[in-house]
Amino acid sequence: MTSTWKDPLVAFDPEKDPPPDVVTNDWLSPATVWDETKSFKTPMHTVGRLRYYRKWPGHGSDLWTRMRWWPTRRRVLDISSAYNPRTLKIQKTIDDKRPIWWVLGFVIMALVPLFIPESRQNGLLTAGAIFGLYAAINVVWMLVIGTAGIFSLATYAVVGAGAYGSVYAAMQLGLPWYVMPFIGALIGLIFGIVIALPATRLDGFYYSLLTLGVVELCRVYVLQSKQLGNAAGGLYGGPSYIPEHWDKHSQLLLGYYACGVLVILALILYRFVNGKQLGRVLRMAPEKREAFAEATGVNYRAARIKVFIISSIALGFIGGFYATHFKGASPNLFTFDTMLLGLAMLVIGGIGRAEGAVVGTLIVVFIDRVLLDLGPLRLILIGLIMLGVVLFLRNGLFGIKDQFRAWRDKKKSESRATRAEKGGEMLPEEAAETRNKDVIYFRRFDKMQRDFLKRLITPEIIEEHRKKPLGQHSEALERVLTYFRRAPQTEKYAITVIKPFEAYRIVALSGTRGVAPRLVEDRIYKTPDEVYHALFMRRVQDLMET
Amino acid sequence: MAEVKVFGYCNTLSVKPGDEMTFHVHADGTNRAEARLVRLIHGDEHPSGPGFVEELVPSDLDGTWDVKKQYTQVGNYLTVDDPEGKLALDGSFTLCAYIYPTLPGEGVRQSIIGRWDVFNICGFGLSIGPEGVLNFGFGDGKDNDYLNAEVPLLKNTWYFVAVTYDAKTRQATLYQEGVVNRYNSLWGKVVPIDYRSHVREKMRFKPNNKADIPFLIGGARDFHEVRGHFVTQTFSGKIDRPAVFNRALTRAEVDQIKDTATPINDSVVAYWDTTAGYTDRGIGDEVVDIGPNQLHAMGFNRPVRAQTGHNWSGRNDSFRLAPQEYGGIEFHSDAMMDCRWDVAKTFTVPNIRSGCYAVRLRAGKGHGLAEEYIPFFVRPTKPKAKIAFLFPTASYLAYANEHLSLDAQMAQPIAGQPPIVTETDIELYQTPDYGLSTYDHHNDDAGVCYTSSRRPILNMRPKSRLASMGITWQFAADLSITGWLENCGYDFEVLTDEDLHRDRLEALKPYNLVISGSHPEYYSEEMLDATEDFMAQGGRYIYMGGNGYYWNVAFRDGEPHIMETRKLDSGMRAWNARPGEHYLCTTGMKGGLWKNLGRPPQKSMGVGFISQGFESARPYRRMPDSWHRRANWMFKGIEGEIFGDFGLAHEGAAGIEIDRYDLNLGTPPHTLIVASSGGHSDNYMLVSEETLYTFPGMTGTYDYRIRADVTYFTTPNNGACLSTGSIAFGQALPYNNFKNNVSQFLKNVVDAFSKSGKLPGWAWTAEEKQWR
Repeated sequence: MTSTWKDPLVAFDPEKDPPPDVVTNDWLSPATVWDETKSFKTPMHTVGRLRYYRKWPGHGSDLWTRMRWWPTRRRVLDISSAYNPRTLKIQKTIDDKRPIWWVLGFVIMALVPLFIPESRQNGLLTAGAIFGLYAAINVVWMLVIGTAGIFSLATYAVVGAGAYGSVYAAMQLGLPWYVMPFIGALIGLIFGIVIALPATRLDGFYYSLLTLGVVELCRVYVLQSKQLGNAAGGLYGGPSYIPEHWDKHSQLLLGYYACGVLVILALILYRFVNGKQLGRVLRMAPEKREAFAEATGVNYRAARIKVFIISSIALGFIGGFYATHFKGASPNLFTFDTMLLGLAMLVIGGIGRAEGAVVGTLIVVFIDRVLLDLGPLRLILIGLIMLGVVLFLRNGLFGIKDQFRAWRDKKKSESRATRAEKGGEMLPEEAAETRNKDVIYFRRFDKMQRDFLKRLITPEIIEEHRKKPLGQHSEALERVLTYFRRAPQTEKYAITVIKPFEAYRIVALSGTRGVAPRLVEDRIYKTPDEVYHALFMRRVQDLMET
Repeated sequence: MAEVKVFGYCNTLSVKPGDEMTFHVHADGTNRAEARLVRLIHGDEHPSGPGFVEELVPSDLDGTWDVKKQYTQVGNYLTVDDPEGKLALDGSFTLCAYIYPTLPGEGVRQSIIGRWDVFNICGFGLSIGPEGVLNFGFGDGKDNDYLNAEVPLLKNTWYFVAVTYDAKTRQATLYQEGVVNRYNSLWGKVVPIDYRSHVREKMRFKPNNKADIPFLIGGARDFHEVRGHFVTQTFSGKIDRPAVFNRALTRAEVDQIKDTATPINDSVVAYWDTTAGYTDRGIGDEVVDIGPNQLHAMGFNRPVRAQTGHNWSGRNDSFRLAPQEYGGIEFHSDAMMDCRWDVAKTFTVPNIRSGCYAVRLRAGKGHGLAEEYIPFFVRPTKPKAKIAFLFPTASYLAYANEHLSLDAQMAQPIAGQPPIVTETDIELYQTPDYGLSTYDHHNDDAGVCYTSSRRPILNMRPKSRLASMGITWQFAADLSITGWLENCGYDFEVLTDEDLHRDRLEALKPYNLVISGSHPEYYSEEMLDATEDFMAQGGRYIYMGGNGYYWNVAFRDGEPHIMETRKLDSGMRAWNARPGEHYLCTTGMKGGLWKNLGRPPQKSMGVGFISQGFESARPYRRMPDSWHRRANWMFKGIEGEIFGDFGLAHEGAAGIEIDRYDLNLGTPPHTLIVASSGGHSDNYMLVSEETLYTFPGMTGTYDYRIRADVTYFTTPNNGACLSTGSIAFGQALPYNNFKNNVSQFLKNVVDAFSKSGKLPGWAWTAEEKQWR
């Protein structure tokens, strides 16, 4: 398989002894691999997706007047326009469709009472009001758990304290109903400060345990306190915003809509805390990366406490509202099952999103308060749903979309990895994602080239290179070298000098201006020729491995 | 503790005793450095030569210098001197410009026009957002408000963009229209794309115009507590005719400005007519405001002018023919022309002999990046010697801080070897602060046409080796020639291209013999004229290199530290100027190769560039004409026909870049080829300017033209020119401690050339009437 090669330059050194002929490979046509390759090794599938829905075109020369949510700089809808790379037409995408879903959701909730049959009005409107109350509480709780990352279970304790406190104060002082939420807010502030203090020292699980203790303390206190009613009934008899003289149906309707307004207020609060500076600061300090955030000057502790206290005020407010809604408060607020149901609502919806809190609440309240016929099975159903969510979903119902996409991407990579040859030609799926189609051809060419060059690597040309790394070489070696030299810069091998003419090392280039080359091995080579050959051997090895 | 690094430059490269010069030093990890003045004698550490040789010269410079960390303002932009605050518009306004973005959507904001203070969130400005979308933003000192256009701006496409802001209604309206014609942009008519976008929003509050915010075109102000104020968000691309108006113009009015390229007169505050001020001899950095306030703008880090504008029609290829089509000013966010560092030391040059000197600075461990040489050249107060060595500083500038081995994919195939990079190369690669060479591309892929000496030029240092080729290059290689002159005991003085360009013939005239550097590739018209005049008046010249007298370059009067070059159409070139941008904005001359301007190097030197290959070099062999008595005196004391089969550049005197005799390109007809190389490897390929069609066999082992010729011809008044035709020639001189046949050959020539009067062999001019 070998022949000899005569250096064409030998004749130019007539005064020197001619060097021995170089042993090299038999000639092999560079078109060999091209001639051998007639088709793709894997089945090629048709790609291309039909657009079955309409995309809005760009505005072109027309003036596009955009509206904002006063007084913020947020546009009513977050719309982005882009050129479709297949048609170059401008198409608009609503990047964030949540405002639409929220509006739709509220419109439906507002209209629902019109369509409920008479017989079920009572039950459903009561459940709706409870949904509103719980949704508001959970949205605020989400600020504590999701935004501030404080795993407090004392939420319902704060609400309960607000409720008990405000109704007690209203009854003692004869205050009107509209003062009660504000008394609740004040109690929430005090409560918030008290439970915030240990949060500066305790983390995660330990803090949860502590708050659990606070809840239990409240429950026991309320059960034993004479002033706050007796063990069974709770404290009732406070003023209410629902006029006594209205008929039952109107009272229920008012309660339903008032609780709806409460949800909207909670959502606005959520938006202003989570979506503004405080929320942004906290997103820079996610769990387990607090130390890094702190080192870069993010005061996440102060932000956490701030969010916690703001939430506590809001929870107290909701507590006061709760008390005017029910004309009193019950120890139920402090029970373990209330807290667990609340937690179930958050987990089912997904932590860290307001919509998660609201939809989670809707599902749980629906099962708990509407499907009354199921009896105790309801709780098992809720438990099963929660179990399912914990087992199969990464971040509740509203994480499904991301989770699905990640799963699809995983499947996609698996499929491509099994079908495509490493470093080989692109599949139609990959080609469709490649903007510069020249790259697709380069992959084909490069694959052919490498498959051919692999057949040229023989001990003979390696020996030829070792003897003379620079200068004229046999055809086979020159081909291999030319391929190596023309490689793109990224991860291309180069040499770095430690001491000129004494010590060299091999590095790999970054291909990106500003990024230094990477050391690939520790070995030190004494002469340029030695390091040239070592580098050649690395390139040969890389070639043979692909 | 940071790694100790020291870098520096001096304000001028060429001085005479009595001149004052300043040194500017940046240091990392230390605040003191030990300085010594040294004379550089030999710069190549290759074991076949004498190694690095310097001589300490006691002077006022010696001692410990206080040094510090210094900051460099990188990027192009235009500043406007506006003491009366005419541009600080508190009410309604309109900002507009034609733009040609070259790097949109790469994740960094680029300011187009405005007064924007990034640090204080103050002022207003029109910019390209990080995602490549036109953006109008402003701030009140606490918060900002902004408005985005609908579709992203596309690369290498001309647009007219504007924002109108109505203070009464707080409405801001963005205006974006493509102004693409058949010639001016990347794409033409066949692409089904809509470039337009018009968006309006009501803003939350009004901008706060603090008085101290500068009005900038192509940049915005920022602040750093150690560095102070600096400019950030610099623009990449071209800006044409930016303007400011003092009310919110209507859509029809903006359309009118776009269509006519003229301002709306009743409300114009400033209209920078980027096409005003062109002369037949180029244009400067001032951009003329033709509005009522005459707020002329000034380019920083030399934005590139004489570039095609939004209305370039393709018919005219120079601003000299149609200045109105050359409104494009090109900005680069990584352009750097002058480090502007604080002075570390001021020095009055004492009465020392002419030569190449350097300040050696050492800190920390004292080698590698902790050792710096700042070279400069001392001319005599009054020339006395017969011989001058001309340091090709223009070519040093062209290669200053090149990044080829790390940046350019073609560097390894050209050089035929993997690069050997040093810490210095990596340092240059990591920071944009030391600028680029004319062999590099800006980050938007545009070629670099300006280069400057007011920065540390880390490859203009003794001991420096060219990473991609594993040899010394330019400055360090040229020290092998001065080292040889020194070793032979010649009395010689030094000159630089800076002196030649400024003093022209006067610079060369005092000498009998002028010797060039190893690679004098970049020549201005003034320099080339003076060299020809010198030879025509009886001067003797040794062109001691290869690929010389190749590119036409230009310097502004009084600014020898900045050089312009345009690479185009043919020649071995790192980049290609865009169509229509082939004229040097410094002089109005066409750029490119001297060959394409009617002055191939053969015309003045006898030889011109034919091939390059960087992995091997070859010896010369005497040609039959060298036995003619006109030339045989050059070979006195040389045995055999082969000489130069050794050297510090790949073991041969003929190689790296090589030149050839060619009557068709103007080699004087009485020229002799006294020696030639041969047997070059196939890495030596025919240069592109000699290539019409490409066909197999344009490489060293196939093509007889690929060789280095040593040519000799006489010029009027007893003048003469000897050309060696090879870069590696100079690097062969130090072999065996300067005792070798190349050295002997050169000595014979220098001895003869430096003597006044008739040249050896002058009388042997009769036609041959021989029996054999």
